[in-house]
Amino acid sequence: MSEGSFRRVRSIAKKEVVEFTRDWRTIIAIIVIPLLMFPLLFILFPVLLESEAAELDALELSIIIQTDGLPENLAENISLSGMNYSIEELPETSSLAVPGQDLDRVRNSSTDAVLRFESNEDIWNYAILHLSTSERSNEARYRILNVLSDWENSEIRERIDQGGLDVNETLDPLRWDGEISAGDVATSGEQSGMILSLFIPLVLAIWTYSSAIQPSIDMTAGERERGTLEALLCLPCSRMELLFGKWLAVATITGVGVLLQIFGLLFAIGYLATSSFIGVPQLSIVSILLIVLSIMLFAIMVVAFELALAMRSHSVKEAGSILAPALMLILFPALFTQVINLDGIEGFWFAIPVVNILLALRELLMNRVITEHVIIWAVSSVIYASLAAYYASKQFSREDIVTSLS
Amino acid sequence: MAKSLLSIRDVTKNFAEVEALQKISLEIYSGEIVGLVGSNGAGKTTLLRLMAGVYKPSSGTVVLSNGEPVMNMRHELGVVPESTGLYSRLTAWENIRYHSRMHGVKDSIAWARTEKFAQHLDMKDSLGRHTKGFSRGMKQKTALLRALAHGPNILLLDEPTAGLDITSARTVRALVRQLRDEGGTVIYSTHQLAEAQQVCDRIVIIHNGEIRADGSPQQLLQDTETDSLEEAYVSLTLDQARTRKEDNTKESAFTGWWRRLFTPKTPSTTQEVMESE
Repeated sequence: MSEGSFRRVRSIAKKEVVEFTRDWRTIIAIIVIPLLMFPLLFILFPVLLESEAAELDALELSIIIQTDGLPENLAENISLSGMNYSIEELPETSSLAVPGQDLDRVRNSSTDAVLRFESNEDIWNYAILHLSTSERSNEARYRILNVLSDWENSEIRERIDQGGLDVNETLDPLRWDGEISAGDVATSGEQSGMILSLFIPLVLAIWTYSSAIQPSIDMTAGERERGTLEALLCLPCSRMELLFGKWLAVATITGVGVLLQIFGLLFAIGYLATSSFIGVPQLSIVSILLIVLSIMLFAIMVVAFELALAMRSHSVKEAGSILAPALMLILFPALFTQVINLDGIEGFWFAIPVVNILLALRELLMNRVITEHVIIWAVSSVIYASLAAYYASKQFSREDIVTSLS
Repeated sequence: MAKSLLSIRDVTKNFAEVEALQKISLEIYSGEIVGLVGSNGAGKTTLLRLMAGVYKPSSGTVVLSNGEPVMNMRHELGVVPESTGLYSRLTAWENIRYHSRMHGVKDSIAWARTEKFAQHLDMKDSLGRHTKGFSRGMKQKTALLRALAHGPNILLLDEPTAGLDITSARTVRALVRQLRDEGGTVIYSTHQLAEAQQVCDRIVIIHNGEIRADGSPQQLLQDTETDSLEEAYVSLTLDQARTRKEDNTKESAFTGWWRRLFTPKTPSTTQEVMESE
């Protein structure tokens, strides 16, 4: 690339980034949302769930117990669980779970739940009538089940003891000796890499594609629609310089968005989890360089593909209606890649577009550098990126890009 | 005799089945204002885009005086397209600077030229403002300043006074004449005969993709034996203007079928209108 050509490409890219970031909506889209999305989701959401759970815990519930004789300690535990109860006779039904005449009482919330409890010599039968669409009723069922479970455990222990057996030996004949984590020979760095490999490639793929949509459309179909492209095409720059300048701008904007999102994600995980849950992955220099290469190849392909599709479109609306559903081309392979087992994986997986880079990222984050795989994904990605760039250059060379529907 | 700056030789331009320009030949000489006059869809903008190197001719050549195709010599041109093409989130100066940098001109030189012409156009105080809030006239003037900032030899203007108020239009016309007086060459596309008569030294009448006349306003009157340019224009373009094609891109068979599927049939009788209600 000559000096003049480099200067023009830089001017185009700089102008595109400056113009794009002068819109406050863009700042929100590429900085604020990626940075805050995961922290909000991972930190505020659990806080909200906790406060909702505390609210449910504080509820005083009222239930009906239909029984032919309730054990005393069970009744006491029900009272202690924040439930007021009234005792009734067991109704005549084919089984305890059939609501019968109690259907309306539960449905219209005149009681939060009905516990039916029947003695049958040494065995007890029970059923709980509840309304699964009511939070109070669900909470009542949950508390009753907890009380019953505790009562059943103490009943089991008592019966084993009465049978002359040791309770602990009978219930827990197989025991782990020592610290459970001590049995894992993977280092904490490797474990961190494994955990990161489960979501970093997915986030990277989806966010790279989705954050490139808006700038791609704005810099191509948007320019075409606003009539600024004609003036640009009259300038002494080649269409390839134009494409490269715009690609550089979209890639920069997208790169910033993806980096911020990953930063937000790691911050949220670091805040939530203990330090042993996630830490710095143990990566070699080769792995790091290959990660950078794979991301670059992926970005070249995705951004060129989006610019081409947007440039083909005659209007912003048309471009949006093509690029938004095309996200599926990334989303499905990205989700699919998460469930592929990496141990003993066949080489052809590393030649499939999109899947190849995501698998490569998963392997590299686990610090696995397998030469055969690296060659396959690197060569195939270069081919796909070149094809996408060639397709984009064909679209930028079209004469009709000067005209628009507006 | 003035030096030829731009030669258009036997140029034909086709868009799919539409022949937008048919075997056009034209010489543009140094120091003249050439008016391209024609109705909507006559081929003025296509010819201007060929001269600007945006379109490639289907046949024929568009070359500068040194024999180089215009496409390779775009730094010699200053272009103001009909849509002005300003970036609304940039200031007027940033718009001008962006284009002059693409032409490889230093900011200080571009600023000096811009300042000089901005004075004429009463735009100096507005150079630091974002163009978003500009009126049509201010946008047109900014686009003109942008086209002049790198010091082009030929200025191509597509409908430069369309939508302007009387005062702004007068200012633009005065600047164009001043540029000519300073030795510049201007190609001025318009569909207003009165304007062409006022501004241009030479008028080229284009109709249905052909050049119907080429000469000074007096010469056109003499050749057509008429008293006014309007009459001359009418006598030269008696055949019906072709229908303007909305979009020069080819529609695929599937897209055409899909579009027709959701396009209701246009009723042709009162009975059909009532039935469609």
